Amino acid sequence: MRLSRMPLSLRVPVISAGLMVLVGLVASQQVLSALGAVQDARLRELARLHIDGLSVALGPDVLRRDVWEVFDTLDRARSAMDGKRMILTVVGDESGRVLAASDPRRAPVDSDMSGLLAGAGTLATISAAGADPMVRVAAPLVFQGRETGQILTELDVSDLVAERRRALAALVAGNALAISLLALGGYVVMRRILRPISLLAAQMESATGLPEPIPGDRIPKGDSELARLVQTYNAMSGAVEAKAEAERRLAERERFVSLGRLSSSLAHEINNPLGGLLNATDTILTYADRPDVVRSSAALIDRGLRHLRDVARATLDQNRIDRNGMRLALEDFDDLRTLFEPEATRLGLRLDWAVAASALPPLEAAPVRQIALNLLLNAAEAAESGGWVAFAADASDAELRLSIRDSGAGLPEASLRRLLTSDPMPPGGGVGLRLVHDLVAAGGGRIDHSRAVAATEITVTLPARAPC
Amino acid sequence: MSQTLTRRQMIGSALGLALRPRLARADTSLRLGLTPVFLDNDAVVIARLRDALAEGTGQLIDLVQRRTYAEVTGLLLEGGVDAAWLCGYPYLQHENILSLLGVPSWRGAPLYQSYLITAPDDPASGLADLRGGVHAFSDPDSNSGWLVTASDLSRVGERPETFFRRTMFAYGHRNVVRAVASGLSRSGSVDGYVWEVLAQLEPDLARATKVITKSEWLGFPPFVALRERIGTSPVTALQDALLGMTGTDPGRAALQSLQLDAVTPGHPGLFGGIRARMQDLAG
Repeated sequence: MRLSRMPLSLRVPVISAGLMVLVGLVASQQVLSALGAVQDARLRELARLHIDGLSVALGPDVLRRDVWEVFDTLDRARSAMDGKRMILTVVGDESGRVLAASDPRRAPVDSDMSGLLAGAGTLATISAAGADPMVRVAAPLVFQGRETGQILTELDVSDLVAERRRALAALVAGNALAISLLALGGYVVMRRILRPISLLAAQMESATGLPEPIPGDRIPKGDSELARLVQTYNAMSGAVEAKAEAERRLAERERFVSLGRLSSSLAHEINNPLGGLLNATDTILTYADRPDVVRSSAALIDRGLRHLRDVARATLDQNRIDRNGMRLALEDFDDLRTLFEPEATRLGLRLDWAVAASALPPLEAAPVRQIALNLLLNAAEAAESGGWVAFAADASDAELRLSIRDSGAGLPEASLRRLLTSDPMPPGGGVGLRLVHDLVAAGGGRIDHSRAVAATEITVTLPARAPC
Repeated sequence: MSQTLTRRQMIGSALGLALRPRLARADTSLRLGLTPVFLDNDAVVIARLRDALAEGTGQLIDLVQRRTYAEVTGLLLEGGVDAAWLCGYPYLQHENILSLLGVPSWRGAPLYQSYLITAPDDPASGLADLRGGVHAFSDPDSNSGWLVTASDLSRVGERPETFFRRTMFAYGHRNVVRAVASGLSRSGSVDGYVWEVLAQLEPDLARATKVITKSEWLGFPPFVALRERIGTSPVTALQDALLGMTGTDPGRAALQSLQLDAVTPGHPGLFGGIRARMQDLAG
């Protein structure tokens, strides 16, 4: 798993563990480097003392080229060191020939010293840093301020190398243990610290799709920042819940609002036939003995009552609570026309109504009716008196297409934003268009707006979706 | 009163008698010069020799060691020491003014040999094979450690300085053995008596060398004194102590440490071989 894809509650502990490993490595490196420096300083001091001591002791003998005395001094120095540290010391004369060596078989008297000098360091440069258990150092042999020869010595540094190797092993083992414990501890502690974050993330992605508040007993104690964060989150989740509830109520109310807007037209629609109906009953009462008049008046009453029944049914349907889940039918478009036509008439608008579909895709009736009604009411409001409103419904197996056009001056910018975007709504103004937007979005559909010369068209496309 | 004084005088006289010999000893300690004709690096040997001579002479003994034969010979000639254990070669060099006090007897005779030694794996079987090598001598005044080899070369018309690529003086027979054993020199001229004693005391060191040739038997390094001082009490005391070492426990212990039988009176004729070599060298 890539680090950037890890959840924060895992990533931070992993990073903290990684940092501890890094710190451990750097610390180990520092310790080894310090140990190396100490060892080198020790080695240089040792070599310097060794060579200085021999220079003092050998000076006169080298000056006299006294092979035996030089050897005797070296041999006694070797014996005194019990064969430790000093492996070989060679003293050469000014011409680079061996005068004597602690091991004459390795460096015979009068042999050329250059082979031995190759690869030898100086007192300032020798180091026990490599894996080589031996270092070779060469220095001039100075006596009475004059360089009388040279001295080369091989020092056994296997103990220093072994010491460093032991230190390395101890560091690796100790640090591995310490780092593992620290990293594990750091991981656990970070996980604990970040547990509220994990909880927060889990609550945000709850099954309901809405952020759920964190119970009070799970709010971290003692950590005021995280506690504040959780409390803030709880407050926000409450606000989101409240907003969703408010929207739900608003949508509920919108149904009544749209009906309310139709109420006067519908009242007229009911009232208008009543005069005719009352006249018909008067006629029947007056001409009760004339069957033809009674029959024609009864037919008139029948038509009027049927119309009234249609209007009442359409109004009830629009508002029925138990209509949720019902499938859209062609009759729903008749209902819409029944509801809207009186309003158009009242406003002096021409209404073009075209439902071309013979079969409809599976869709829930309530949102479609609400969408169409809201857009029709909006169009009626926009189209000025003497103008027109056109409704068209077209359908295939896959989708339903509604087209609402009007002769109005077009939607103002604020209304377009309500209809087409999820931008926050400015205060004031109706919620009808935003409800259309939300319903279409919930249904996975699309709203298109186009403006032609003296005509505005809003098209809603809804994909087929079986009512649940 | 007079009795008291007398008693005090008596006590004082008794104290004086008791203290006098010790004071006298300290004032007149005998001085014996030593050269590395034996294992002069062994403190136990030196201590036993001092004890033996102190026992034999009844006096304190001051054993004087120097690095070279020449220094000890010089001390003897100028009277810095009462007597000295010298090599036969410097004895003969100053034969006209020196006299023998005694000659140690080793393995039944007052004689010893000079050995020519090399490393055990050296193919050389004689002096002639050592040409061009590095050679260690003991001391320029040593018979076994120089004269024998130098005279051998002289007899065939060679000189050490040219026959060998390089020569060195190690000033001590044990040092010659060390030089050869370590590889510092290819070969060495060494006192046979010292080599044999080393072979028992420090077998590892001696085994790191091998003897390729031995000289004829020559007079063992003698104890000598200035002839003019022969008969003086310090010299006589020393001579008596030397010759009487086998008669005292400390004397026998010292002889055992030195692996010698006794110190015999000796006579100048023992050193004929050395004298002959000196003449050969002088050409």
